[in-house]
Amino acid sequence: MSEEYLLQMTGICKSFSGVRALDNVNFKVRPGKVMCLAGENGCGKSTLVKIISGVYTKDEGQVIFEGKEITKITPAEATRLGIQVIYQDLSIFPNLTVRENLAINSEITAGRKMVNRKRWDATAREALSKIGCNIDLDAKMGELSVADKQLVAICRALLFNAKLIIMDEPTTALTKKEVDALFVTVRQLRDSGIAIMFISHKTEEIFEISDDVCIMRNGKNVYSGQTADLTRRDFTYYLTGRELVDDRFVPTNISAEPILEVKNLCMPGKLQDVSFELRKGEILGVTGLLGSGRTELALSLFGLAKPSGGQIILNGKSVKIPSPIAAQKLRIGYVPEDRLTEGLCLQQPIADNITLASLKRLSNALGLLKKKDIYEDAAKWVKIFSIATNDPKKNASTLSGGNQQKIVLSKWLSNDLDLLILNGPTVGVDVGAKQDIHALVHQLANEGLAVMIISDDLAEVVVNCSRVIVMKEGAIVGEMTGDAITEDNILEIIR
Amino acid sequence: MNKAAIKRMTRRTEFYIFLVLILMIALIGIISKGQLFEPTQIVTILRAMVVDGMFAMCSLVVMISGGFDLSFPAVSALSYSLATTICLNQGWCQTNPWMGFLLAAIIGWCLGMFNGWIISNFRLNTMIVTLATQTFFTGLSMGLLQLKEITSTLPNGFKEMGKSYLFEVYNSAGLRSTMTTMFLFFIALCIITSFVLNRTMFGRALYAIGGNEVSAERAGYNVKRIKFLLYSVVGAVAGFTGMIRVCMASQSIPKALVGKEMTIIPAVILGGASIFGGEGTVFGTVCAISIITVVSNSMLLVGIDTYWQSFFNGLVILIGVTVSALQAMRQKH
Repeated sequence: MSEEYLLQMTGICKSFSGVRALDNVNFKVRPGKVMCLAGENGCGKSTLVKIISGVYTKDEGQVIFEGKEITKITPAEATRLGIQVIYQDLSIFPNLTVRENLAINSEITAGRKMVNRKRWDATAREALSKIGCNIDLDAKMGELSVADKQLVAICRALLFNAKLIIMDEPTTALTKKEVDALFVTVRQLRDSGIAIMFISHKTEEIFEISDDVCIMRNGKNVYSGQTADLTRRDFTYYLTGRELVDDRFVPTNISAEPILEVKNLCMPGKLQDVSFELRKGEILGVTGLLGSGRTELALSLFGLAKPSGGQIILNGKSVKIPSPIAAQKLRIGYVPEDRLTEGLCLQQPIADNITLASLKRLSNALGLLKKKDIYEDAAKWVKIFSIATNDPKKNASTLSGGNQQKIVLSKWLSNDLDLLILNGPTVGVDVGAKQDIHALVHQLANEGLAVMIISDDLAEVVVNCSRVIVMKEGAIVGEMTGDAITEDNILEIIR
Repeated sequence: MNKAAIKRMTRRTEFYIFLVLILMIALIGIISKGQLFEPTQIVTILRAMVVDGMFAMCSLVVMISGGFDLSFPAVSALSYSLATTICLNQGWCQTNPWMGFLLAAIIGWCLGMFNGWIISNFRLNTMIVTLATQTFFTGLSMGLLQLKEITSTLPNGFKEMGKSYLFEVYNSAGLRSTMTTMFLFFIALCIITSFVLNRTMFGRALYAIGGNEVSAERAGYNVKRIKFLLYSVVGAVAGFTGMIRVCMASQSIPKALVGKEMTIIPAVILGGASIFGGEGTVFGTVCAISIITVVSNSMLLVGIDTYWQSFFNGLVILIGVTVSALQAMRQKH
């Protein structure tokens, strides 16, 4: 191919009912390179992708693919040109077999009416052979790991002689190890001449995988060029439009007596003899790979999992935590990993979400709610957290991921707590909001709250924690404090 | 068969439901001292399966696509009541019943199209829509059209059709029972449904839509058209099945099917169809319908009061729904 660029987009504009989603975006993809499209939530990334894949039509601008201008892109046309999108949800059918998932798209595209088992099998085998992966074709898709599901989705895209594969935040649900495996595949595809457009907002990943980067902010592209020419600092600046300094947490207010002591906590197959203590004003990091027992530990402290043995001592008294209600009575708060399904009622107003855990305080003797107090309370937290909304009566679903996470946090903080457990507090949250959340957690700890952060984002653990325990196969395998907490030190123990 | 395949088989609901069926038959066979295996009893049970089994097929395909059809008994009742009334008034079907079957299927088709049109165009919850249309169709039949019961005046063609049989059997006491010709329709519908579900892209589309509707759309299926077609066809089959019921019962009673969905849908769930869509097979459904029919027909044999039938039906709903939910949970983790 003689063309320098596989895809060139210039001056792309798109408005939705008068609101400019894309404003004069210029954008180029080189064949056989990985290009990262970075940007915070709501910056227009997905709109741009939908224009490339033909779901939306552009208002203005020029699209050139393989040297030819393309005036009208439809989804079918995009497929014919060799553009494949792998959406975040992977567009798979969990109830069907791997074989069927691989073959079904090409069968539909070919306009087939009948099922031919032999042809399906051949198609599926061909797809898997493209990247040489080995997955049981008869397995049900829903039973595969996220990483394997992703491989299937990639293989399926390759069947269409893809020249450009767009991957929409592919690493969100993956562990570090799975991300590494995915990157191996991505490099393999890149080396075979396929252009990859990688959508992400994770700084480390972008620097690791991409050759080119395009950063978007508020519907404009603020930087495009080679990744090598960019420093991390510049990158963050372009992404957020502000200088962000990640302050490392310095505890200033650690209590003498531990508020929480966990002794020999056990759960068959999940936790082995876990013992540690936590003081007020500390931020304790609990890290380890997926399945290391870190989540089970958090769940047993919040009454959502039942340990088979061991002791939990809170404020010097041995306690049993059989349910989340009991945990709340003991002034323990828990922010779950999956905030969308476990921590938020998306279709309910922001104010109701914030005050959900403190309704007892906000109702009168008869149990009737004091609406006025609820809104006052909500308004207070919207202000403290600078939650981006003009009206707390709007539904929580109208907010971005970062702001949703702020709601979940404020829900717990609006009750007086002794211990706050954060499980993956900034998963899927963009850099700016991440910073806000970190700063707030630091402040809370220094005001005397005991905080536990459970995370596999090592950078996050390093910046926020005054002490870290590392878990492996249900047991604590390492502990470090202060300056000894570095990503390398943690990684050494995990491996 | 390798190990993985056996393991997969034992994880399927159909496998267990088949075991339960065998166990049930053995158990009732023993309790009834072999009466269950009298040829007349077997023929009676098979006969009772025809209409319920055909309705179950309608319910199955809708559930696979992730929907719920509560309206098929109402569609069926309106179709056969109207069709027999027309035949009676026109003096049709005195010798040949096919005109009646055609009419009922066409009326059912139209009512199904109405369901399908609303569901596919407005993207509404199928259970709510069919709950509404069920009431609407029933009202149409009783109120607007004033359809009446037709018993002794039922056109002769239908009566003859209902009496026709494939073979006759006698029990030890010399009592005679006949195997109705209508059973062939049930067998044919099962084969057609199974073929469509497994061997056509339309059938796979139902599984795909039930599994993940957004993905199905992205994969290139015209989800709107498929749903419209599905509900139309189900309507036609429901109408046709209704006519079979008229022939077998030798009467057309507009209210006869009220509440039928409440026994059919649980049976389909018991047979392995998921309440969340995307799962379900003809084999499992037939097994489940067999269990229900065998048990309810054997209650008298075993000496259990028939009032227990609703108790049993309730139990089936609970078991079926629980199994379905457990399976969905297992898939999530």
